[in-house]
Amino acid sequence: MKKKLKIDDNIFRLIIILVVFLLIAGITKGNSFLKVSIFQTMGRQMAEYGLMAVGCGICMISGGIDLSCVYVANLCGISAALLMQKNENAILPAILLAIVIGAACGAFNGFLISYLRIPPMLATLGSYQLFQGISVVISNGSTVSGAPEKYTDFGMKTVAGIPAAFLVFVLIIIIMSVVMGKTKFGARVFLVGTNAKCATFAGIKNKSIIIKTYMISGIVSGCAGLLSLARINSAKADFGTSYTMQCILIAVLGGVNPNGGFGTIPGIAIAVLILQVLSSYLNTFPDVSNYYRDCIWGIALIGVLILNHVINKKKSDKLAKMGS
Amino acid sequence: MKKQMNKVLRQTEFWVFLIIIFLALIIQARSGAFFANNNIVDIMRSMICPSLYAVCALLAFVSTGPDVSFPLVAALSSYLAITISIKINYDGPWFVVYLIGMFFGALMGALNGFIIVKYKFPSLIVTLGTSSLFSGILLGTFEAARMDLPATLQRFAELSLLTVKNEKTGLGSTLPMTFLILVAVYIAAYLVLNYTMVGRGVYAIGGDEISAERAGFNVKKIRFGIFVVNGMIASIAGLCYAVMSMRYLPNEYAGGEMVVIAAIILGGTRMTGGIGTLKGCILGTLLLTMVTNSLILVGISVYWQKVFIGAIIIIGTAIPAIQSIFGKNKGKKVKGGEAA
Repeated sequence: MKKKLKIDDNIFRLIIILVVFLLIAGITKGNSFLKVSIFQTMGRQMAEYGLMAVGCGICMISGGIDLSCVYVANLCGISAALLMQKNENAILPAILLAIVIGAACGAFNGFLISYLRIPPMLATLGSYQLFQGISVVISNGSTVSGAPEKYTDFGMKTVAGIPAAFLVFVLIIIIMSVVMGKTKFGARVFLVGTNAKCATFAGIKNKSIIIKTYMISGIVSGCAGLLSLARINSAKADFGTSYTMQCILIAVLGGVNPNGGFGTIPGIAIAVLILQVLSSYLNTFPDVSNYYRDCIWGIALIGVLILNHVINKKKSDKLAKMGS
Repeated sequence: MKKQMNKVLRQTEFWVFLIIIFLALIIQARSGAFFANNNIVDIMRSMICPSLYAVCALLAFVSTGPDVSFPLVAALSSYLAITISIKINYDGPWFVVYLIGMFFGALMGALNGFIIVKYKFPSLIVTLGTSSLFSGILLGTFEAARMDLPATLQRFAELSLLTVKNEKTGLGSTLPMTFLILVAVYIAAYLVLNYTMVGRGVYAIGGDEISAERAGFNVKKIRFGIFVVNGMIASIAGLCYAVMSMRYLPNEYAGGEMVVIAAIILGGTRMTGGIGTLKGCILGTLLLTMVTNSLILVGISVYWQKVFIGAIIIIGTAIPAIQSIFGKNKGKKVKGGEAA
């Protein structure tokens, strides 16, 4: 029991933060914040960048970073939209196409990082320009819209009051938690992130693990692209460029160590919730500029980093004392 | 002689230089307009800001790691400098406006430096956070909008260093005075990096922090100083941008950081620190500027621009990686610490 609590320390902290935020929001802006419609909007918005954050997060756990999530999502969204524009009934093929493209983009990133040994940040930096460029070329630089209604209905659909997009998000979170927490593959990703050299000597095939990690990130980002296509019925090459920063922030807030090796998927999920509550809460103040959000997120990112640093230091000091 | 030849061949800068010449010849052959005087001046003109940013990125990479906050440091500090000089109706020499900007830039750089040095966080994450913070302050708190420059900068903007006119096409192009600022910053950076103890320290702490400390360098001070200087150079670049576009445009700054980083990596700066040259900065920036400026000359649609940039970044970054793999196979280690 005690051991279990220790592992979930960070998640526990995050849940407390979330509850405190919800309480503050509920007390100060109760009548305009605690509404079903607000929570539904939150669920829809959160699913998109939440998925990208999960993708970026697992790459960070493997010791790298994925800056291309947003652009992979856009590329997938655009190609799915183009296919559906041509053929109204090709909804399923379009979804498959998007996921395959996402996987291919991810695998490409993984190939650059593992085989060509380009540092992850640079490889994804270069590939995001490439993906964005391809999106611009195939969409002729304009917004692609006109997905069939059957598909866009999904964006507004609710199941028992819960937006379908949010359910997809929860489903993917559960799958990813199991993959990262319960499978051999997940354990290996953590090992590679902690110490790549040790992992090699432990007989792990680093290259294939890294390619798979980035592939998962690509697939998850592809799903995010599909969700945003369903929600706003359009896809654009430079949609949501600010999400890149946000994804990294969420991952770090959720307890992922930027140096690799630590982090949990549920932690990332709760961090997504916290950010969404915070930003929806800010939206209820009409006179507060949207740009303040950037400010708060910047402070939150650095604040959380410092907080984690201090807490970890205290912990290790305690352990050192116990040792002596 | 052979040894020297080998040394040149191993430098990334040499290969980038070859690519630039090759590319220039192709563009010239296809369009006949590359070596026209107005095109050359245009390229020089559009290189000014990226090259200044490149110095920031170089210093950060060589010593610590990526710094992505410089575009927003530039935006916020030049906003403050311009607003203050307008508010107090300042009408003295132009460089005082630059000094005000550099002061604020230094403050913002100090914030970056403090967090990075004190807590030893990855500089990428910290600077991402601070750039988000700065953008919030700029667009949220100050509600910055486009505005005209103070009279003194306006006059400075109208001066030109060189004006050329293409006889054939009738297109003209001018090189603004800000080009001299670029030259001055590069000369200063070159002298400091190569001929002072602090400059060597920048390379030393990036190469191996612990060895540098044992060798007597004050790692914390140098690192902090680098970020302060970075803030100052970023603010110079920001004001130059405002001067060259004749007004202050708050939304035009953000987003340039990735291309600048790509440029210096192409120019041979290592991600792992300790290696990187000013020569490489210029060459890398020149290559990317050429690509963005000249695609139209060759008749390739602007839509392909990003694809080309992405491909160049990937190929460019893969070359040093592949080189070092082959280098290891031969049993030769690539020597670190080469300076400009």
